[in-house]
Amino acid sequence: MPSKETILTKIKANRPNLWPLPDVPIFETSATDKKKLFIQILERGGSKVHCIDDSTQIHQVINTHFPEDKRMVSALPFLEGIEGITTLHPDFYEGTEVAIIEGLIGVAENGALWVTENELGNVRVLPFIAQHLVMVISEKNIVGTMHEAYKILGLPTSEGFGVFIAGPSKTADIEQSLVIGAQGARSLLVILIP
Amino acid sequence: MMPHAQKAAIFNKDEARTDWHDASLWMVRKKRDFAVSEIPEWEFLREFASDIKMHTLSKLDDYLEAFEKAAIQNGAIVHWAADAKEHNDIVLSILNKHQAKKMVKSKSMLTEECHLNEFLELHNIEVIDSDLGERIIQMLNEPPSHIVLPAIHLKKEEIGELFHRELHTEKGATDPQYLTEAARHHLREKFHTAQVALTGVNFGIAETGEVVVCTNEGNADMGVHLTPVQIHSMGIEKLIPRRSDLAVFTRLLARSATGQPVTVFTSHHRNPKPAGEMHIILVDNGRTEQLGKPDFRSSLKCIRCGACMNTCPIYRRSGGHSYETTIPGPIGSILTPGVDLKKHGQLPFASTLCGSCTDVCPVKIDIHTQLYKWRQIVSEAGLPEGGNKTMMSIMGNGLASPSFFHRLGNIGRKLLRLFPGKERFLSFTVWTKDRDLPKAPVESFREWYAKQARDAQ
Ligand code: SF4
Repeated sequence: MPSKETILTKIKANRPNLWPLPDVPIFETSATDKKKLFIQILERGGSKVHCIDDSTQIHQVINTHFPEDKRMVSALPFLEGIEGITTLHPDFYEGTEVAIIEGLIGVAENGALWVTENELGNVRVLPFIAQHLVMVISEKNIVGTMHEAYKILGLPTSEGFGVFIAGPSKTADIEQSLVIGAQGARSLLVILIP
Repeated sequence: MMPHAQKAAIFNKDEARTDWHDASLWMVRKKRDFAVSEIPEWEFLREFASDIKMHTLSKLDDYLEAFEKAAIQNGAIVHWAADAKEHNDIVLSILNKHQAKKMVKSKSMLTEECHLNEFLELHNIEVIDSDLGERIIQMLNEPPSHIVLPAIHLKKEEIGELFHRELHTEKGATDPQYLTEAARHHLREKFHTAQVALTGVNFGIAETGEVVVCTNEGNADMGVHLTPVQIHSMGIEKLIPRRSDLAVFTRLLARSATGQPVTVFTSHHRNPKPAGEMHIILVDNGRTEQLGKPDFRSSLKCIRCGACMNTCPIYRRSGGHSYETTIPGPIGSILTPGVDLKKHGQLPFASTLCGSCTDVCPVKIDIHTQLYKWRQIVSEAGLPEGGNKTMMSIMGNGLASPSFFHRLGNIGRKLLRLFPGKERFLSFTVWTKDRDLPKAPVESFREWYAKQARDAQ
């Protein structure tokens, strides 16, 4: 008998009586100021946060954070044409030092930002391979908890890959000492726009 | 196989190191407590998580079929493996199909359980464990000592020495930042040259066919997205019904594991990259057996957070290697006796039954109750041998008869007064090896009570 049938037959023989599936309520955060909490949790996890009133200031913020000449790649259409920032191309992302991408949802309780391959120009590896990551997100898209985030996300439609990113890559595998910048991005800068 | 108590005794010879190990894990436990305190509905979440998992187990066949259907629709290739051998053969066949000789792997306890690395190396495949802790122990040729913190038993000096030998870091260098940086360069090269990447799976979603992988370092995603072929090895108990259930589990997992509010990356893989291939291997390897044991099936709810290890006084002071199982600690001690009672039957005794594991478990597995139940089964089977059993039968008889108990108490108090200390007394039981006996009271409670009653008249 092929293993699939063996496994399914064994499960049918061994499984417990039907256990009801609970309806999980959408728990909301008790924090009154979601934006404040979002920033606080991100900073606690080693990220930098910068708030601006106008998205035209994005490149200024990026330039102050990365004053040296770095190879910057942007997946944001509205940054096209700005000097020093290359528009992402699926064949030429190697050697990216700073990747600039958009976050669709921000979660206040844990500082996680949702992004799918659509915002990555289908270059799934971009946020991991870049030395530094910049994520731009609108304040309007900050929710309190993961329950609210998944409610908005619903089921995947076109995207084959999506990820919550909650900070720079990190490890504590050597004697529990926290090291920021393990194998993915060494830093995360979150730019909050209105 | 050496019994756990004996291995623990060896571990305890270096007292300073034992204290250090104990303190490292206790620190993680304290971080967990803080992270938990931030969520007012924590106890509700545990209850929901437990119910969702129990529900899934009660319809596991249906959910597996739904998952397979959705995954195939997404463009993934789904395999079923009845045991470790079949799992390993499937991985090898995928590698052979692509004439691949190099595979990067991110942390997966399942592949440890299947001894995949050893198997592939026999077939001349180079396997690179890419999680920093896993890479360290792979270089040392050791198994992980913890399911979340695989190298928690090692000192930075030892890792520095290892990296000096293997990666040519400076001699004597022990700075974690510097050593991590060296590993980063070493591994980035591997990601670019491997043809296949394999990951474990934290959650499989029945309604969408997605596999979800929760990590901090970014190594799992580097491998999956840079290599043409991705493989996800998944125990069949990893399923959850709905995508929205992830809200419950992502809130519980990292807080319980390391005290982070969420892992840095929560990756949802649904379909292969353009021109890529995505395989999902569903593995049984004893899980359907465990499902058939009413007293122990709830152990299949486990989400491998490691909290029960971090809190366990025995684990903290005996180290993961003393269990000689892939999954050590309290959860390992209830998962493995069912696999081989003779070999692992002593593990349910490696516990104080304090119940701390049950208290911290995010999916509410009654771990200490199951440890106790395993003890019954082990004892009925005539295991374990040795002093403990003699003592237990004396105690058993003593506690069953009130008059005998009374006399035993009298004798005990007299002996303790005559021979205080522990060395000269009861040397035939291990219990007193590291414990001082109490000062004997002049009278028993029963005598005191009788006297009170007399005085009151
Ligand atoms: S048994 Fe519970 S506490 Fe232990 S690893 Fe599994 S989920 Fe975590």
